[in-house]
Amino acid sequence: MVNEDNDTIDSGEIGNGSVGRRTFLGAAGAGAVTTALAGCLGGVDSGGGDDGTLTIGHLAPTGMAMGVGSERSAKIAVNELKEGEGILDQEIDLITENTELSTSTTTPIVEEMINRDNVDLIVGTFNSEITQGIMDTVAESDVPFIITGSADVNTITDYHGEDYEKYKNIFRTGPINSHYQAEAMAGYAEHLSDRHGWTDFALLPEEAAWTTIFRDRLPGLLEDRGLNVVYDEVPSVQTSNFTPFLDDIESEGADAVIRFFAAGGRGQLLGDWAGEYPFAVEGVHVASMSPEFWDQSEGGCVFETTSQSGGGGVTELTGNTMDFVEMYEAEFTGGGQEPPSKPMYMGFNTYDAIHFYAKAAEEAGTVDYAEDLDDIVDAMLSIEHNGAAANISLAGEDADYPNDVETTETESGEVNYPMTQWQPTDDGGKQEVVYPVQDRSAKHMKPSWMS
Amino acid sequence: MLESILSVLILGAMMSAIYALVAIGFTMIFGVGGVLNLAHGGLIMIGAYAFLVSTSSSVVGSIAVPTLLGLVIATLVTAVASYVLYGGLVRYIEDNVVITFLSTVMVALLLTELIHYEFGSSPRTLLPIADGTLHLQGVGTRINYMYILGFVVSWIAIGLLWYYVSRTDEGRSILAVSMSERGAQLTGVDLESVKSRTWLIAGALAGLAGVFLGTLQTTSPEMWLNPLAIAFIIVVIGGIGSIKGSVVAAYLIGYLEQFTLEFLGTGYQGIFSLVVLVAVLLLKPEGLFGREFAHE
Amino acid sequence: MSSETDTGRGIGGRVSGAAGRVGGAAVDGLSTVTEPVDRALRPIATVYNRTLGGYFGEMNGLQFVLLVGAFLGLVTIPFWGNYTLVQATWLACIWGIFAMSWDIQSGYTGYISFGHSVLSGGAAYTTAMLLNNVNAELPMRITIPISVLIALIIGLAIALPSLRLSGPYFSLITFVAVLIFYRLIRPLSEYTGGETGLGGIETVYSTDPVMRTYAFMIPMLLIAAALLIVARSNIGLILVAIRENESAVEAAGINATKFKIWSFVLSSIPMGIGGVLLAHRFGTVTPGAFVVVDNSIEMIAMAVVGGMGSILGPLGGAFLVIMLEDVVLSGFESEIKWSILWLIVLLILVFARDGLFRKLWHGLDRLGGDRR
Repeated sequence: MVNEDNDTIDSGEIGNGSVGRRTFLGAAGAGAVTTALAGCLGGVDSGGGDDGTLTIGHLAPTGMAMGVGSERSAKIAVNELKEGEGILDQEIDLITENTELSTSTTTPIVEEMINRDNVDLIVGTFNSEITQGIMDTVAESDVPFIITGSADVNTITDYHGEDYEKYKNIFRTGPINSHYQAEAMAGYAEHLSDRHGWTDFALLPEEAAWTTIFRDRLPGLLEDRGLNVVYDEVPSVQTSNFTPFLDDIESEGADAVIRFFAAGGRGQLLGDWAGEYPFAVEGVHVASMSPEFWDQSEGGCVFETTSQSGGGGVTELTGNTMDFVEMYEAEFTGGGQEPPSKPMYMGFNTYDAIHFYAKAAEEAGTVDYAEDLDDIVDAMLSIEHNGAAANISLAGEDADYPNDVETTETESGEVNYPMTQWQPTDDGGKQEVVYPVQDRSAKHMKPSWMS
Repeated sequence: MLESILSVLILGAMMSAIYALVAIGFTMIFGVGGVLNLAHGGLIMIGAYAFLVSTSSSVVGSIAVPTLLGLVIATLVTAVASYVLYGGLVRYIEDNVVITFLSTVMVALLLTELIHYEFGSSPRTLLPIADGTLHLQGVGTRINYMYILGFVVSWIAIGLLWYYVSRTDEGRSILAVSMSERGAQLTGVDLESVKSRTWLIAGALAGLAGVFLGTLQTTSPEMWLNPLAIAFIIVVIGGIGSIKGSVVAAYLIGYLEQFTLEFLGTGYQGIFSLVVLVAVLLLKPEGLFGREFAHE
Repeated sequence: MSSETDTGRGIGGRVSGAAGRVGGAAVDGLSTVTEPVDRALRPIATVYNRTLGGYFGEMNGLQFVLLVGAFLGLVTIPFWGNYTLVQATWLACIWGIFAMSWDIQSGYTGYISFGHSVLSGGAAYTTAMLLNNVNAELPMRITIPISVLIALIIGLAIALPSLRLSGPYFSLITFVAVLIFYRLIRPLSEYTGGETGLGGIETVYSTDPVMRTYAFMIPMLLIAAALLIVARSNIGLILVAIRENESAVEAAGINATKFKIWSFVLSSIPMGIGGVLLAHRFGTVTPGAFVVVDNSIEMIAMAVVGGMGSILGPLGGAFLVIMLEDVVLSGFESEIKWSILWLIVLLILVFARDGLFRKLWHGLDRLGGDRR
């Protein structure tokens, strides 16, 4: 089992282990005994090459539950590879760093990974601005980079779309990009309409770059499906009092509001809404993805839904989902361990990304990106991998979104875009997957106070 | 239209009352010592987290007291924290305005990091002391009972404070010091004890504000900055050191924000009050009810 | 170096005063050893004092060695430092520019600005917006001067109305300038890129760490030299006089407002240069990394740690803070790292309010014994 090897891993390069090494370097740097390490400089070109070790750099805001889930999932994936067949007989190392939430922290980290640690693969990045902040640095280095957190479609269209050759080493294996998410959301609204007879929807995307595409596309997509958009407002991220919005939504007679919130502090909308306003709250709410959100919101999230890759890890999606979730829980849940108690969506995507790359490397027969980048790219675009969150394949160079994960559809034509809902239980609440129908663990529930 | 105006009137009053709680402590501390306490937002944050820890069963194991008791605990904890901040730090450096406000910024930043470390960065929800909302059919809005409670508590606090500083000797000495430190000293006022009491009172008010802001808005490690900015704006507009000015300015800003929110959308919510602030600073820098900044 | 500001009346002052006396006694004891050393070094220092001392200030042998040693260590850093250290140096050079620029305005005149990140952010955003909204091919020789000019204009726009105010009111209005700038970025996201910011800025020498180091270090050294000359000229004297007693300056028939505006000019230009460098260091400009008030606070912290009102003190403070942040403490979790950092700054504020480097400098002065 994964547990048994845990000690050796932790004492190595991974996670907290890397702290010791960096502290040493720091102390050495501050002192005068640095000459021995001076060789590190000028070593800019020594990246790449096949040195027998595949070093994976993981980037996430590990001060947040989302980042912790991703970091732990990366460890699990690396453990599995080490214990299993490995990648082309390479030693495998994992370096994980906290990007916090700022580009100014992330850029130096990425430069170090590339120039000093000679990483052979980078996975992660959560916020769009961080992902886009390092695109050029990573593109110039040719190090393969798999995005596993941010879904902004511009990350592909503004980069690969402009200069594919430059950015061809950058991929995304999940989540599906925001363009597809908008379509999936419309499909979900249609499902709600079928199930509850809802026809009138309100839209409430926060004022942020990632919601732009929802703002642009969703009204049209809903109307195409014969649904009405009765309300469409963009609250600023500083909004703390949602009463005026909720009042207006109510007076427009909406059956449900589809809101897109990532910025913190939106628990407040729920506090005012729960038990009071006669419409459902659907859409995307990053805070609500946390398996601990029931406690954090003191149960205020009841009947709220959010989309998330991996469906919160509550039910089987691909045949590999629960195996991974159980591994995660065996190692990281309970016993006083910090949250999150589930991998969260970025964890699923990071876990899948590392396995996806392992498969691609086997296919290409090389991990030497400096020499064989084209082979690696070809392999990445040709393989298919049944991961924990989805069945993953990437779009080719000539597609609308090259190097980006393609959507998969269920038999009934629903995009594989799991929606979870907080449903009441006897002694609290739990997350259930309510969509797509084929994968759901429970049926979507209408808020109990809606008539 | 009428409905919107009514809704602005009602919601604005509720919000303004809480802003008044936020600003009064800040202005009192400035009044008696000339200290710009940039850790005031940090005190508000302490109030919110103290309430979280004492009332929520999900934080520290089995400790979960009734919410009303939680409010009392939060108020006391923040008052003590404020007193410790004064007695342990500010007292020794208040002679230098620059050093003082830089130090209090550092305290605020330090608090942010510690709370971030202890409670994580994700926002927490506080249990409401009064659950639910009042549905005003005619106006087409609902008012969270916490707003109503906040409104009531705010006015009780203002009333008590007014009684204290105008009807009791202890309170009058606070007022005296804020008018003229030297004059008060000459009449035999014990400066140290006046300042200590002021910080205690300011802390208690910040604690109350913390619980209401934390319940109605967010409880997160970043929650100190916005209340601090609000306190700034209100205090400057009302006149630094003037309690009456702060209450009036709190209502001015509260209504202004509610008005922009209702009629212009949220994008401009923060900017308008800043513009008013700049205008007041340039045209009437002493504020509506303040004196010139003339400490020595 | 300018004279030490008055030591405080409070316990902080008393404690540091006492520590100073004890330390002073120890130092005086030590000086029997160090005096000969100083004497041996003095001839070199004397050569310097005769030639350049008039511009930068005179010093004794020990001080001279410290400064020259630090200078030589710095310019050779790509040859002895490891990657982490060199990388931190890039940032330290840029923040050094910020801290010095802040100092010539706030540290010298005593008008504490919380708004300097608007100046650097304004310049960085100008560069990014020129490249993204006008023409992506604009060369640096066009974008840089325009960006610096914009920083100057913003500086004057802040200075002209706000300098009528004093004390905390001035600090408040500069703080508000940051908030307004920050809050305008989102509504204008069509041009500013909103919170994701703008990319597409050329990163200078991104594959050559050695050249890159000098690309940031040379502007920093030039700015340091220029500001030192200004600070030691009559302008610098008047700025300090404004801090110490503005009404006396006015009484002497000097237009203090004119000089306060000058201090903003002197500050805005290097702030603009630093902002542009920072943009070219990261390649992207975001509100979080360039504008938010935390940036202004960090500049202030650096200046305070090093010693306000001394140009080189804030420069040293910038290096100290960045090295602590990115090298020495980089192994800690980020919350712990920042907690330690803020605690250090707080302790320096309370116990060494004149700054570490000023203390070091005066310590060396005593160690060297009598100068003449």
